[in-house]
Amino acid sequence: MVKTEMKDSPTPPEEKLFSGVLLLNAKVVGLALGVIFGLGIFVATNWLVIKGGPRVGPHLILLSQYFIGYKVTFLGSLIGAAYGFALGTICGALMGWIYNKVVAFRQ
Amino acid sequence: MNKNPVVIIGAGPAGLAAGYEFINRGIKPVILERSSIVGGISRTESYKDFHFDIGGHRFFSKNDDINKLWQEMLGPDFLQVSRLSRIYYQRKFFNYPLRPANALFNLGPVESFLILISYCRSRLAPQPEENNFEEWVINRFGERLYLTFFKTYTEKVWGIPCKEIRADWAAQRIKGLSLLVAVSNALFGGQQAKSLIEQFYYPKFGPGMMWQRFTDYIVAGGGEVMLNCEVSSVLHDNSKITTVEYRNGTNLKEISAENFISSMPISRLVKLLKPLPPAEILKSAEQLAYRAFIIVVLVIDKAALFPDQWLYVHSPAVQVGRIQNFKNWSRFMVPDQNKTSIGMEYFCNQNDRTWKMADNELVEMAALEMEEMGFSPASQVIDSYVVRQPHAYPVYDSTYKKNLLNIRKYLNNFNNLQTIGRSGMHRYNNMDHSMQTGILAAKNCCGEVHDLWAVNEEKSYLEERRPVKEIPAIPENVLIRAFARMDKFAFAVAFGSVCGLLVFSATIWIISRGGDIQNSHLRLLAQYFIGYAVTVKGAFIAFGYSFFWGFLFGWLFAYLRNLFMAIYIYRIKRKAELLSLKDFFDNF
Repeated sequence: MVKTEMKDSPTPPEEKLFSGVLLLNAKVVGLALGVIFGLGIFVATNWLVIKGGPRVGPHLILLSQYFIGYKVTFLGSLIGAAYGFALGTICGALMGWIYNKVVAFRQ
Repeated sequence: MNKNPVVIIGAGPAGLAAGYEFINRGIKPVILERSSIVGGISRTESYKDFHFDIGGHRFFSKNDDINKLWQEMLGPDFLQVSRLSRIYYQRKFFNYPLRPANALFNLGPVESFLILISYCRSRLAPQPEENNFEEWVINRFGERLYLTFFKTYTEKVWGIPCKEIRADWAAQRIKGLSLLVAVSNALFGGQQAKSLIEQFYYPKFGPGMMWQRFTDYIVAGGGEVMLNCEVSSVLHDNSKITTVEYRNGTNLKEISAENFISSMPISRLVKLLKPLPPAEILKSAEQLAYRAFIIVVLVIDKAALFPDQWLYVHSPAVQVGRIQNFKNWSRFMVPDQNKTSIGMEYFCNQNDRTWKMADNELVEMAALEMEEMGFSPASQVIDSYVVRQPHAYPVYDSTYKKNLLNIRKYLNNFNNLQTIGRSGMHRYNNMDHSMQTGILAAKNCCGEVHDLWAVNEEKSYLEERRPVKEIPAIPENVLIRAFARMDKFAFAVAFGSVCGLLVFSATIWIISRGGDIQNSHLRLLAQYFIGYAVTVKGAFIAFGYSFFWGFLFGWLFAYLRNLFMAIYIYRIKRKAELLSLKDFFDNF
C-alpha cells in the first residue's frame, strides 16, 4: 500500500503576476504590425476604388512616392498591402527588438 | 479468528464507496458501522414515514465517474431538483447569491446607500492589518455588509465571535482566490470556475436511499456491512494495524485484516490506538476540533411554508442557523402532502448548553423560533423529532493544520492503514470527495498508487454551474508572462525610435529621389515640426520631433496598458472573491 509524502501547501503565487516585466516577441510584434499595415492599405485603397468618382484617391496616391508601383486600383491595393506588410513587419520587429534591448539594459 | 482482506470502519459515503470498489475487484470487505443505519452524516433518518436529511445533501459532482455511479445506483429514483435557497434576514428573503435588485428592494434605498458608502470607505481606506475574519471581510465588503450578511451566520456556525476567527482561515475557506487561477478562468472559462450549482440531483427518499443501494450491492457481492458495531480499540504492532475491537450491543468482538480503512474521526482513531501513540500525537488529536449540530424536525400541519429547499437564517434574534424544508428536496420525503416537515438546524459544540438541552426543550425553542420568523404558529407543530450529530464539521482553527500533519505523519507508520472521508481526513470533503477517497483507498490496497490527500484540492474538485468541459490547464509561467507589466521607458524609447526613423527615412527617401522636393507633401510636417524642411538637416530635425512625440505616446500607451491590465486583474480578483463567497455558506 502506498503512503504519500506530506507537504505544506505552497504559498499562492499571486505576487509573481506583478513581479515580471513584459518582453516582446519581436517577430510576433512585427508580424502583427505588418498584417495591420498591409490590411489597412488594402482596405483604404479598395474603399476609394469602390466609391469611385472623377478623381480616385488624390491623397492616397501620394503613397506611391514611397511604394513604387502603387496605384489607387485593385492591383495597386495588393501592391500597397505587400509594401505595408513589409514596412509594418520591419517597424514592429524593430520596435520589439529595441524594447527588449532597453529592458535588458535597465535590468 | 479469520483474517479478512480488508476492514472498513464507517459505512458513510467514503466507506461504502471503498466497499463497492472492493466488491468490483472480487474482494469481500467487512464494514463496521457504529450507527443502526448507513450513510454517516449524509444518512437519511426516518420518523413515522417522514424522511429527513442530516444537513441537506445535494448530489452534484465534477467527477463524471461519481455522477455515473450515482445514476447507475438509483436510476429513475434519482430526481433532478432546481435549487432555491435564500437568506432569511429581518423577516425578508434575500436571494442567495445576493442579487443587487433584490437586496436593494429588501434593504431599502437608505440602507443600500449606507452599505455602498461603507463598502467604498473600506476599499479606499482598508484596515492596515487583517488579523481576524471580521477585519478580512470588512476590508473586502465594508462593515455594513459584513454586519448584515456575515457576522451573525458565521458566529452561529462557529460559535465564536468573528474577531476570534483567524483571517487566514477565511482566506483558506473562501477558495478560488488564487489570482492566477482567477485570471486563467476569466480568460478561458470552465475548469476552475467556482459557482453555485443551480440544479442538483437528490434521491427520491433522501440520501440514505443511495447508501442503502451501495450496502445492498456490497452485501450481494459477498461483503459484510455490520451495523451497531462501534469500534472500541485499534490494535497495532507499531508498523501495522493488526486487529480492531468493536462492541456489538454488549458483546466485545474483534476482527483482524490485511488492510484497514478508517472513516471515523481521525482524532478518535488516534485515541483508540493500542498501544497509545506518543503524548504529542494524542495532544494533536485532542486539539483537532469538530463542530456538532442538532436538527430539530418539526412536522407542521400546513401544506407549504416556503418554496426553498433550505434557508440561511441570518437574523440574530433566533438561534437557528439553517432551516431545511424536506418536501422541497423531494416530495417523497413526507408521507402526506398536506403536511410539511422542516429541519431547524442548530450549530453547537458537543456537550455545550444547546447540546445538553432536553429534546422537548429543543422542540419548544424551535417551534417558537419558527413562529417568531413568521412561518407558522407553534400550535401547528403536530410532531417532532431531534437528531444530534457530533463531529459534523471539522474546525479549521489556527492549529488544525499543524496538528493534522503531526497525526498524518504518525499514522503513516502503519503501512496497512488509510483514512478516508470528511471526518477521517478532517477535511471539508463533500459526498463525492469522500467517495473518491474511499475508491482510491480501495485501489491503493490493490496495488495502485493514489494520493488520497490530493482529492478535494483546489484545481480538480469544484462545483460549477456550467457543464464540465475539460480545458487544459494554462501553465503558470505563460500567465505570468502575459500579464507582466510593460516597461514604460523601454516602450517609449522603442516607439519613439521607430517613429523617428520612419520620418527620417521618408524625408531622406524623397530627397534621394530628387524632383520637386520643395513641393513634396512631406513639407506639410513643418506645420507641426517647427524648423522642418525636406532636407538632410530637416530629416534630423524630424527625427528629433518624431522621437519626442513617439516617446510620449509610447510611454502613455505603456502606462495605460499597465493601468488597464491592473484594473482588469483587480476586477478578476474581485469577481473571484465574490464567486467564492457564493459557496461560502454552502460549505458549512
